[in-house]
Amino acid sequence: MSAEIPLTAEVIELEDRPEAVDAYFTERRWSDGLPIVPPTEARVRAMLAATRRGPQETLGELPPAWREATVEKLAINAVVAGALPEHFPVVLAAVEAMLDPEFNLYGVQATTHPVAPLVVVSGPYAARIGMNAGSGAFGPGCRANATIGRAVRLILLNVGGAWPGQGDMATQGSPAKYTYAIAENEAATPWEPLRVALGFGAEESTVTVFGGEGPHNVNDHVSTTAAGILTVCADTMRGLGSNVGWYLSQSQVLLVLGPEHAATVAGDGFGRADVQRFCFDQARRSLLESKLSGMYGIQDWPGWMNAIVDDEARLPLVPAPEDILVMVAGGPGKHSCVVPNCTFSRAVTRAIAA
Amino acid sequence: MIRAGVPAALITTTVFRGLAESERQAKGTPDLPLLVIDHPLGGERAEAVRLRAEQARRALLEAVAGPSAPPA
Repeated sequence: MSAEIPLTAEVIELEDRPEAVDAYFTERRWSDGLPIVPPTEARVRAMLAATRRGPQETLGELPPAWREATVEKLAINAVVAGALPEHFPVVLAAVEAMLDPEFNLYGVQATTHPVAPLVVVSGPYAARIGMNAGSGAFGPGCRANATIGRAVRLILLNVGGAWPGQGDMATQGSPAKYTYAIAENEAATPWEPLRVALGFGAEESTVTVFGGEGPHNVNDHVSTTAAGILTVCADTMRGLGSNVGWYLSQSQVLLVLGPEHAATVAGDGFGRADVQRFCFDQARRSLLESKLSGMYGIQDWPGWMNAIVDDEARLPLVPAPEDILVMVAGGPGKHSCVVPNCTFSRAVTRAIAA
Repeated sequence: MIRAGVPAALITTTVFRGLAESERQAKGTPDLPLLVIDHPLGGERAEAVRLRAEQARRALLEAVAGPSAPPA
């Protein structure tokens, strides 16, 4: 059907050599620096065939360049990233989610903080397209994870205009800005899946975008109780250099439990809400510690927090227990991770239309 | 705000000037006065912050009254 619909992107004829195509894209800053897949019309049309949306439909304007995120442009970037057509519905849902004002994409794109949108896929669609939710889910080796995350980044670069040092003012950047996509390990989740906890149906598949730093490791090889593991998790959430907590209303943390940690925690009778409550209570900085932190004096706290004078008082990092998102991913081993957010973006979830 | 007749300006530090200029263009307000102060602002002592404020004040006067505005 889409083969009959005209496309509007300029057609460029290049020498039929990968090196020539790469050089052309790199010179124009249309690349992340890695080799690209040339977006031929046939490939773009195949990508477009994976959605019912028309090529000229726009999902909105992507900051900081505020260019229209038309489905055609998104498809072109997905091809360039090496994504397959079945990955495209995830990319579209991710862009839709990032454009929700709650996500504050302008801030995420332009900030000096090393934040990248982490794309979390929950639901049966993740397995259908071969996403890795198991060993090394954050790492290399899975085409779906790698190219979905890369497609999102290329869209943020090429449509959004987040070029390092120009639209993207990150002081040091982050490896998470190359690609950052994982799937929930639902089989190893002792609770309801993430999407259900966030109000979606079990039969749906969703994308959650989370404006986060790279994952921070939680190593616990010895704890045999929920409290033991979660105490270590909570400590990882509360470092003096973290952004989390300073703009309290938008602060969130994503806790990605490894399956073995999750089993220990659940085996101790903890539900997801208990994990959230425990971490909400334990992942705190005292007022004295806050005074030693990197944002004290320029924080955006509610009046009741600013009024506290007791240096021993332990202040929350997020506004509510539910702002500690909890999911399971990974394979065997005694590691989990914490993904702190940038303190000015809230996670947004959208259903995947596939 | 300018379209509504309310005087407005965009304040940026030197290293963010490019981002601010592209924002003015993208939002269709290329004539919005741009007040540029030295970078950085965060982590500066009070004296340096006062200097930035003075830079912004001068730039604002120039934006409103032109470069020949008398010192205020």
